[in-house]
Amino acid sequence: MKVLRWWWGLLLAFAALALVRIFLPLPFANEIVIFSIYAMACNFLLGRVGFISFGQPAYLAVGAYGAGFYLFYFGANPYVGILLGIVAGIIVSLAVGPLFVRLRSDYFALVNLALSVIVFYLMQKVLAGITHGDNGLWFLTSIASTPVLDLSRPDHFFIFAFLVAFAIWAFYKYVDDSIFGACCLATKVNEDKLTFLGYSNYSIRLAAFVIANTTAALAGAMYAVYLGFVSPEITSTAHAPEPVVVTILGGVGTLYGPIVGSLVYIGMKDLISRVVGNWELIIGFGLVFIMLAGEKGICGTLEPLFKKALSRAAAPGASAGVGGKTT
Amino acid sequence: MIDTQLLISGVLFGLSLGSIFFLMAIGLSLCFGLMRIISLDQLLYYSIGAYITYTISLTTGNLWLGAIGGMAAGAAAGLIAERLIYLRIYERDITFTMITSFGILIGGVGIIKYFWGLVPRPVEVPITAQINLLGTEIPVYRLIIIVVAALVYVGIWMFLNRTIIGKAMRAGIENVEHVEGLGINVYRLFTIAFVIAGGLSGLAGGLYAPLIMVDPNMGLDVLAFVFMIVIIGGLGSIKGTLVSSFLIGQVISLGALIYAPLAQMAPFAIMLLILLVKPTGLFGSPLLKR
Repeated sequence: MKVLRWWWGLLLAFAALALVRIFLPLPFANEIVIFSIYAMACNFLLGRVGFISFGQPAYLAVGAYGAGFYLFYFGANPYVGILLGIVAGIIVSLAVGPLFVRLRSDYFALVNLALSVIVFYLMQKVLAGITHGDNGLWFLTSIASTPVLDLSRPDHFFIFAFLVAFAIWAFYKYVDDSIFGACCLATKVNEDKLTFLGYSNYSIRLAAFVIANTTAALAGAMYAVYLGFVSPEITSTAHAPEPVVVTILGGVGTLYGPIVGSLVYIGMKDLISRVVGNWELIIGFGLVFIMLAGEKGICGTLEPLFKKALSRAAAPGASAGVGGKTT
Repeated sequence: MIDTQLLISGVLFGLSLGSIFFLMAIGLSLCFGLMRIISLDQLLYYSIGAYITYTISLTTGNLWLGAIGGMAAGAAAGLIAERLIYLRIYERDITFTMITSFGILIGGVGIIKYFWGLVPRPVEVPITAQINLLGTEIPVYRLIIIVVAALVYVGIWMFLNRTIIGKAMRAGIENVEHVEGLGINVYRLFTIAFVIAGGLSGLAGGLYAPLIMVDPNMGLDVLAFVFMIVIIGGLGSIKGTLVSSFLIGQVISLGALIYAPLAQMAPFAIMLLILLVKPTGLFGSPLLKR
């Protein structure tokens, strides 16, 4: 019963996500799922470790190019591509992490932004011989179809992305409840106390940094496989604040925030650009309004209300059950 | 090796680029130092300034009038944003003001798209004359930009060091609570700082408009550079902003002479190096560390 209580929220949210699939067109649903994986990484960094990063596109691009290079030059198996994207993400975040995690929050955000610009120009100009510059790498037709879940088909891809998102989410929920998760939260709230308790702030931050950025790289690799195409555009500065915005839109540090946030952000972007054609105006001022109304975001504002309603609904039922037993 | 003519024009190009960056970064730096907000919407006032300059110079044919109009429009937009939005969120955490300002930036880009459309607009260069400097032809307009930036620096310096409001502002950068304790209305200071920042960003947009195409996303293009300048110089330091903007201007322009892709990447590499050696930036005082 306890296990069920631990999981019910997770199951409910993903059931809602599966429902989304019925009502919404497939490309849209796919994008939401991938973006929510991407936002989960940012949510972990921002909500649990207290790092605000404007350079998440850099890790997205690392994953995407990790998968892209393999699929364009060496092989055709999309699963291997995604795996290589993850490996690339681990390598890059391990390489830059030791330098970056020493910095404080504002500087951390901007150093990451710098990294994403460096990756952009690296891919666009310096390595143009391998990456084909702005034209990007196209490999949609060369992706081999695989047994069981055929990733070259969008509907099968959705199921795969869905399962991955579920696994990532369960992983973050597990991390949240573990000692490591508590330590992450402690580095955000009070690093001195954590030092007194005998933990190393540096290694906890490094581990969290690697975990989050590897998740972003995974999202990048999935984008690459899904779109069948990688270009430097993926890491341009115009996209840099997107994951942070989505995270805050959904609610920082809330478990369901990333999914709600990406649903709302991508949904609004899609819908508004289709209806009005000027999505910036509405998204921008909508964002300002959300920030003025409450800093907790959509999920953070709704969650307590939801819980209150739930406990009120549950309370009479529980007392009735007790009453039934006694009589 | 690069020949001298190319080198001189490269240095001059870097100086004028640095001047534009300086005008924009000074607003960001002031906002961070005094109010502890990272005001991404300065980039919006930059594009508003450029667009107003475009419209005025198209109707009157006078760019200087346009640049002044752009400056006024930037200041007015800054005042509106400060009164309507920032006044309510000064108490909040820095990341939240950052996201809010990003919302203003995006929303403002939407407004610009609504009025002027998506098409990039050219603005005519008012002075096409060139003067001969050490055997190199130099466009006069770029020299004027450098002179304007120098005047602005002197003006800001005088304002911060010679007037009572400026002195209060400098004290506020050190410690806002103490200034408030002395009976000075700090929110009035905040408004003044914001209007100055918005006006300078608008001026930067107006002056830079003839050298580039004016398009709605022009603010996002320079976002990374301006940010980097403020960070390298040390958040809240005017002198640091001056030094780092000219440093970055030179790195971009001379880097382009050596190897074109370097122009965009080298500044970021320099920023990484500086931050890793001195995490508070070149002139940032350790006091400003939050």
